[in-house]
Amino acid sequence: MRTFLLSLAILVSATAFAQVPSVIVENAKGEAVNTKTLLDEGTPMIVSFWSTTCKPCILELDAVYDALPDWKEEADFRVVAVATDDSRMLAKAKSFSEGRGWAEDFVLLFDKNKDFMRAMNVSVVPHVFVIDGKGKIVYSHTSYTPGSELELLEAIKKCSK
Amino acid sequence: MKKLIVLASLLVCGVTLSAQEKGYLTGSLESNDYSYVNDEKSGALAGDDRFGSNNYLKLDYYNGKFTAGMQIEGYLPGSVGYPSELTGINLSNIYATWMDEDFSVTAGTFYEQFGSGLLFRSWEERALGLNNAVTGARFTYNYRDVVAFKAMWGLPRFGMGVFTNNTSRPNTITNTETQVRGADLSFALSNLLNWDNTYLALEGSVLNRYEPISSDLIDEGGKPNSLGYSGRVNFESNGFFAKAEYVSAGKKYFQNPDMNAENWYLQKNGNAQLLEFGYNGRGLGLTVTGRRLEWMNSQIISGNVSTSNLMNYVPAMCTQYTYMLTTFHPYSPQTGLVQQNFINSGEMGGQIDAFYNFRRGTALGGKRGMRVHANFSTYYAIAKDGTFQAGNLLFRDFSFDIEKQWNKKFKTILLYSMQQYNDSYGASPEYMTQNIIVADMLYKWTSTFSTKLELQYLQTKQDKKDWMAALLEVNFAPHWSIFGSDMYNHGSTKVHYYNAGVSYNKSRTRVALGYGRYKQGFICSGGVCRTIPAYTGANLTITTSF
Repeated sequence: MRTFLLSLAILVSATAFAQVPSVIVENAKGEAVNTKTLLDEGTPMIVSFWSTTCKPCILELDAVYDALPDWKEEADFRVVAVATDDSRMLAKAKSFSEGRGWAEDFVLLFDKNKDFMRAMNVSVVPHVFVIDGKGKIVYSHTSYTPGSELELLEAIKKCSK
Repeated sequence: MKKLIVLASLLVCGVTLSAQEKGYLTGSLESNDYSYVNDEKSGALAGDDRFGSNNYLKLDYYNGKFTAGMQIEGYLPGSVGYPSELTGINLSNIYATWMDEDFSVTAGTFYEQFGSGLLFRSWEERALGLNNAVTGARFTYNYRDVVAFKAMWGLPRFGMGVFTNNTSRPNTITNTETQVRGADLSFALSNLLNWDNTYLALEGSVLNRYEPISSDLIDEGGKPNSLGYSGRVNFESNGFFAKAEYVSAGKKYFQNPDMNAENWYLQKNGNAQLLEFGYNGRGLGLTVTGRRLEWMNSQIISGNVSTSNLMNYVPAMCTQYTYMLTTFHPYSPQTGLVQQNFINSGEMGGQIDAFYNFRRGTALGGKRGMRVHANFSTYYAIAKDGTFQAGNLLFRDFSFDIEKQWNKKFKTILLYSMQQYNDSYGASPEYMTQNIIVADMLYKWTSTFSTKLELQYLQTKQDKKDWMAALLEVNFAPHWSIFGSDMYNHGSTKVHYYNAGVSYNKSRTRVALGYGRYKQGFICSGGVCRTIPAYTGANLTITTSF
C-alpha cells in the first residue's frame, strides 16, 4: 500500500491542471458531439451536470437561467447543461429543457451512459465546473443551495480578466 | 490483494514516467457508512454487523490521447439490502485507452451501450450496487460525422469483478464464465447528404452472448451461444423527432415449473419494440412513448436473482418521483416471469409527457413565467405469448405539476399524482389506487439563506391506508444545509418514519450526516429499482473528487 501511495504522490506532483477530456455525447438533435469541440469558441463556460430527477440541479440551472441577462453584461461566457439521464429519460430531458426555456440560452448536451460524467469524476449531481477559454478547470462545486450560484459569476469574471 | 496493489502501483508508476509530457490525474472518492440499531416500531433489525460501509476510489490519468485508470471498491460489509455478492476490498476496474481523432482502442474495463440499451448496456449505479462493466477490449471508429462504429469483446462483471481471487473467498460468487461480443453501427444519412435542419440516422447492433449450459439443456436443443440484434431509426427535423427500435434479444432458457412436463426447460425468444416521437419547441416539450417487451430479461448468470445480474437496460418508462410519499410503489417493468401457476411473457404500454413554459409577460405566465407538466403512463401484461393482446393492468399513473415563481423570494410547486399498481405482476386483475398531493415551497430570506417546506398527503383505501409527510430544509449557502422530515402512517400502523440530517459542501467535497427510520421499500435510480428492508440508524456520506 505504501508503494502505491508513494507512486500516487509522485504522479500528482508531476501533473498539470485538469482539463476537459475528449468524450462523445449527444446534442439535442441526437448527433454525436465530441466534448473537446466545446473549446472551439475559446470563451469561458459554466458546465453543469444535472438530471431530471435531481431537484437541486434544476434549481441551480433555473437560478443561472434567471440571472443570465445580468451576468452576460459583466462577462462573455456560455452555459453548458449536461443531462446525465439515461435512455429512459433522454427524450424527457430534452422536452424538459425546452419546457423550462433553457434550450434558448444554454448549450444542451446529453450523456446517456454517463461517459462524460465519469471522465470528469463527477460522483453525484449537481456538480458544476467553470472552465476557462483554454479548457482549464478553474472552479468546481458539488451540491447546490440557493445563492451558491453567485460563486459561479465570480469564477467566470476571474477567467475573463 | 498485495498483487493488486503492486499492479495498481505499476500502473501509477508507468503513467508517472509519461507524466513528463504534462498529463493530469483526476479521481474521486465516495464512502457511504451506516450504523444500524434494532427498532421494534418498524421491525428493523440491526443485523450481526450493526454496520455497513460501501467505498469507491476511482483514479484516471490523462495525457494527450492516452488515458488510463482504475477503480477500487470496498464493502466492509455492504449496506443493508445491498447485493450479497459485493463483499471485501478489490480492484474492480483497470483500463488504458488511446483516443485518436477518428478511432479509439480500449484494453481493460469499460462501459458501453448499444442504442437505448435494450439489447446491451454496461453501466454503474452505485445506489443500487449495480456494476456490470465489461473487461476485455473495445475498438471505435468514426468517419466524419457520418459513420460511428463500435466493436467489443469481454467478460461482464458480476460480484466483485474479474480481478477477484476466487480461492480467498470460496463462498462468494465472484465472477462468471459469460462472455459477450458485439458491434454497433450508426449511419447518419442526413449528414452524408448535407441536409439542413434534418437529422436522419440508421443504426444497428449485434450481440453474441456465451455461457456454458447443462447437458440436459443441450439435449433439449439449447445452445451456449445466443445471438441478439437490434435495428433503429432516429429522426429529427425542426423540433419534431421520432425514434423507432426493434430488438431481438435471442434465445432465453427457463426451468420448466411443470414437473410433469416432458421438457425440463422452456425456450423463449426475447424481443422488444420501442417507438418514441414528439415535438420540442416554442416552450413546449411533448414526448409520446410506446413499448412492448417479451422475455427481455438478459442476465449475466442465467437464473441468478440478484438485481445486479443484468446485461441490458429495460427501465420503467414513466415518471420517476422523488417526493417521499410518491415513491411507495415505483413501477418495475415486467420482462418475463415463470412461476408455478403463472407465466407472463412481458408487458406493453406507453406514456405521454408534456412540459410547457408560460413565458414571462403572458396572461398565465405573469411577471416571472409559469411551468406546467403532465404525464400519463399505462402498462399491461401481455395476454398471450407473441401477440399484442393486452392482459391485466400492471401500472397506471396520471400526474400534473405546476411551478410558479411568485416574486424574487417565493417559489411553489404543486403536484398531484394518481397511481394504480398491481402487485401480482398481472396474475390477478386487482390493483390498488392511491392519490397523492404535494406542496413544495421555497422561500429565499436573503441571497444566501433559504428555507424549503414540503407538505405531502397520500390517500388510499387499500394497503396501509392514509399517510402524511412533511419536510423542512434550512440552507445557508454555499456550505451548510440542515433538514428534518417525518412520514406518518395515520391510516393504519401509526408509525412515524422520522429523519434528520446536516450536510456540508466545500468545493468538490460533500459530507452529510443523518439519522432516521426508513421503511421497507425500494431504492430506484435510472428506472431500475432494488428492494430494501426496513432499517433504523445513522448514515455518513463523504464524496470528493480532485
